[in-house]
Amino acid sequence: MKSIDHKLGFLNALPLTLVLGVSFLMPLLVIAGFSVMPQKVFSLLHLPDFSSFAVILKQGYYKSLLWSLGMAAAATVILFVICWPLAYGMAKVFGRFSLVLTIAVVMTLFVSENIRLFGWSLTLMKGGLFEGHMRAWFGVGFDGLLYNVPIIIFGLVYVYFPFMLFPLAQGISMVPDDARQAATDLGATRLQVLRHIDLPLAAPGIMVGSLLTFVLAAGAAAESKILGGQAVIVIADDVETAFTFGQNWPLGAALSLILILIIGAIAVYGISKVDLDAIMGRKGR
Amino acid sequence: MTLTRRQFTQRTLGALGAAGLFPAGSAIAGRTDQMNILCWEGYNTDEVLGPFRKAHPGAAVRAESGTSDPDMINKLRAGEVNVWDLINVNQPWARGQLYPAGLIKPLNKERFEPYFEKMLPEFAAPYPLAYADDGNLIGMPQRYGPFSFVVNTDKISRETAEDQGWKLFLDPAMKGRYGVLTYDNWNIIHMCLTADLNPFAPIDGAGQAAFKAVAEQIFGNAKLLTDDLVAMNTALINGEIDAYFTGGTYTASPARYDGATNVRGITPSSGPVDGKGGVVWIELTSAVNNPDPSPLAEDFLEFVQQPDICKAVAFTEGTYNPIAQMANPEVRARFDTEELDAIQMDSLEEEMARSLDYQIVPSYDALIDIYTQARRS
Repeated sequence: MKSIDHKLGFLNALPLTLVLGVSFLMPLLVIAGFSVMPQKVFSLLHLPDFSSFAVILKQGYYKSLLWSLGMAAAATVILFVICWPLAYGMAKVFGRFSLVLTIAVVMTLFVSENIRLFGWSLTLMKGGLFEGHMRAWFGVGFDGLLYNVPIIIFGLVYVYFPFMLFPLAQGISMVPDDARQAATDLGATRLQVLRHIDLPLAAPGIMVGSLLTFVLAAGAAAESKILGGQAVIVIADDVETAFTFGQNWPLGAALSLILILIIGAIAVYGISKVDLDAIMGRKGR
Repeated sequence: MTLTRRQFTQRTLGALGAAGLFPAGSAIAGRTDQMNILCWEGYNTDEVLGPFRKAHPGAAVRAESGTSDPDMINKLRAGEVNVWDLINVNQPWARGQLYPAGLIKPLNKERFEPYFEKMLPEFAAPYPLAYADDGNLIGMPQRYGPFSFVVNTDKISRETAEDQGWKLFLDPAMKGRYGVLTYDNWNIIHMCLTADLNPFAPIDGAGQAAFKAVAEQIFGNAKLLTDDLVAMNTALINGEIDAYFTGGTYTASPARYDGATNVRGITPSSGPVDGKGGVVWIELTSAVNNPDPSPLAEDFLEFVQQPDICKAVAFTEGTYNPIAQMANPEVRARFDTEELDAIQMDSLEEEMARSLDYQIVPSYDALIDIYTQARRS
């Protein structure tokens, strides 16, 4: 009887574990299954031949992958730098004004990403809101600002702003003011407080914000399509082409799987480095 | 045993809840009361579906619009043949993918062949592209349109564009002055024509090398790539670009109907295949091979041949297109001058005469690899 008692927790969790397993892992397993199928088949009932991976190696798909990961990394770093002071203010300085700021940022999420990006496109294009006014007021026109790599990174920064800001504010709010004051009393400079108190103690928030933005940005396609004019082809675009116009599900699945594995590895590594329980408010010490 | 009654109840309810997520079998039977259409935008509007619903008050008629042929085909491949009764795609996908894969089924010839008599001469019976190789009628044509490229006629005259044809995009002076609308399957056809190749015949190694050179040059010199026709038209009107590779009445008509009649679909006056350089798309609406088919599907196919419905399909929200039924004076009378100008009716007939029918591209697999590689570089 005692032994059943020990297993009760496990048994209680079993139904939900099964539901999660089926709904969350099954799609991933199907992707993994398709990725090893021969080219251009539409069922899993074939002998695996891993040809998609050969195609990916031979046809330079690494370029799209590197562009996606590189632009995602750049966007993450820029977002961190932009969001840190703002998040600091929200957590420690602004008081009730933080609520106004939160609502303002969250409001943008109510409008579809594509529409917001298209708005930027109309603002920045030649003859658009920006260049059009410059030409009308000062008589100097210039080429549109669209269709290049920096504008894609700008789009990523713009779209994923809230995903960095809020975890960061949450992380900074966990830094005890006592610790900062103690450090200052002991003669630490502002920079030393930042390096030895703020950054390490806010690390869970930094990690969550960075992972969220990086993971989302690495799989993003709309910014490159709408603002970038596909100046570079991102991996999500290649996945889409393989599944649709290529009618090559195994190739699309293999490309997705590679992206999932890379991002999964980065996420697992990142999470293992910080104490996530702390930010979830479950620190039971 | 320390399992309390309360715990037992909780767990049993939990298990029942989980079971509810996996309903056993479908309880729906008798499809006379419903019909589902998977289509390009147009057939899903109230103007089209409203009257049909009124005529079949007991039936639930549902339509969903896709944004690309392969997206819609993927739905059927993924098992949604059980859901849909009609699918509306461009004819090569119907003939090349859907019918061979058993995803659509033949139509009743006796019922539908008479409708071809009321269509434009290009579609006169037996209109070959509506038939599979085994002689079965596999879909009904309605919307169509020349599809080659689009220019801003204030910057590049129609005559120049038609005379230069596809070579316009290889002109060094055009570097950075055009966009590529990334309808990939169309780009492949058009890049073949630009490279003086016949896309509808097998393309060998030398041809593929020529295709590669053209693909790299066109992507390399393009100012922007997008699959959004509104974004492309906006760039054309604002002067970001002067032309775009791949486009036609389908993409130019919304801008033209808005008054930007300097946006014009161009069909090259000559080309590498029998002297033709343009291409035309034609949609087919086909019956999905649903194991539990709805009899309303064929009724709907007949219903959309009525003049008012024809007009509603042609002038849907988003894009405006010519329709095969325009030979019927009753249908034609429903279009006003502006609408006819939006779909470039003045040149439609000659453009059709200079256009090849969009067909299956035999070397598609090899070409799409080269194409996506060139796009990335």
